[in-house]
Amino acid sequence: MAQDKTYAHPEMLVSTDWVNEHRGETDKYRIVESDEDVLLYATGHIPEAVKIDWVNDLNDPIVRDYVEGDAFAALCSKHGISNDTTVIFYGDKNNWWACYALWVFMLNGHTKCLIMDGGRKKWVDEGKPLTKDVPKYPPAKFKANAKNPAIRALRDQTLAHAKAKKALIDVRSPAEFSGERTHMPEYPQEGVLRGGHIPGAKNVPWAKAVAESGEFKPRAELEKLYLGEAGLKPGEEVVAYCRIGERSSHTWFVLKYLLGFEDVKNYDGSWTEWGNAVGMPIEKTYQPK
Amino acid sequence: MSDALNDIIDVFQSVDAETRLDLLLDYSGRMPKLPEKYQSQAAHDLARVQECMTPVFLWMEKEGDKLRIFAEVAEEAPTVKGFVSILIAAFDNQPCADVAAAPTDLVKQLGLDGQIRMNRAVGLTAILSRVRRAAA
Repeated sequence: MAQDKTYAHPEMLVSTDWVNEHRGETDKYRIVESDEDVLLYATGHIPEAVKIDWVNDLNDPIVRDYVEGDAFAALCSKHGISNDTTVIFYGDKNNWWACYALWVFMLNGHTKCLIMDGGRKKWVDEGKPLTKDVPKYPPAKFKANAKNPAIRALRDQTLAHAKAKKALIDVRSPAEFSGERTHMPEYPQEGVLRGGHIPGAKNVPWAKAVAESGEFKPRAELEKLYLGEAGLKPGEEVVAYCRIGERSSHTWFVLKYLLGFEDVKNYDGSWTEWGNAVGMPIEKTYQPK
Repeated sequence: MSDALNDIIDVFQSVDAETRLDLLLDYSGRMPKLPEKYQSQAAHDLARVQECMTPVFLWMEKEGDKLRIFAEVAEEAPTVKGFVSILIAAFDNQPCADVAAAPTDLVKQLGLDGQIRMNRAVGLTAILSRVRRAAA
């Protein structure tokens, strides 16, 4: 599928062919693999790519928040990422975690970020080079930037947004959205005390934005989904959420860079926060039989 | 608890976090080949573990008082494949009574709970539950 130049910001995506041509320019670009499966990188990756893992690298180990400031700078420095480096993210599962990693980088004010359309699957399917060797880059100087909170919604902001009847996109499965599914019995700590969705939210499961190939769907199809079915109006403020904010960062990327919504926020607290927090309004559409 | 399982847990608990992932990766490469009789689409349709997001197929049969376990896991999920491979190493051809008594918190006992996302751990536990139920 040729890259869709009608996206609002087509420059945010690069093709597998482009990455293959430019991957040797390691002084300009840093390719980052970010996967849902923590072992996948070790089974083979783009030769110049480093691994950044959500569990181990991007999360603060004590407080529920992302690494920032000096810790973020140290992570970048370790991988030879300077403030001038353009970071190219790719990963498994339709670039789901690649978008999450990109969002965390953007949150930390590093705007030189791109997504390799089609992700890991496309690269592998095309028989492009893979290696198990882990590249070592000399540490780079990275100065922590001011954070960019504009792309993030916290709980009370989201509550105010919902009360003002502004646009909310819930990107979870229909069973989670309706409140039918809350948790798995064996892992109560993973569970949510209440099921359902934020009142007024529209359900657009995140993977609807991608095609079989793992690439993002063309603009026309995305507009049918988000503006047609979900009723979003161009230019309106949108907040996207899921369970922990990782699926919704994928949708955040779609709404912001492919469809051009300027004010899109990822509510990363998402349902694990909302569904467990005292007194938050919930709409439950599931009717047990 | 079976000796096979005990040994595996011991090894995992005696190494550091990074090595545990290496071990898991190792196991993912060691899944026994699937017998002919399970290779059909029909056989796969019956064997899918629904609770797991990744395509995981499990076949279990009692042979006398022992449990036989065979599995197939998508290549793109080495974490899941590694865990299922551990289950086979620990439980295949073991007395049913031992398998039925296996700990439910195996992910934690293997020291993997810190490195595997909660969602993933849920799927793995579902797979383990299936194996235990088959042995009961």
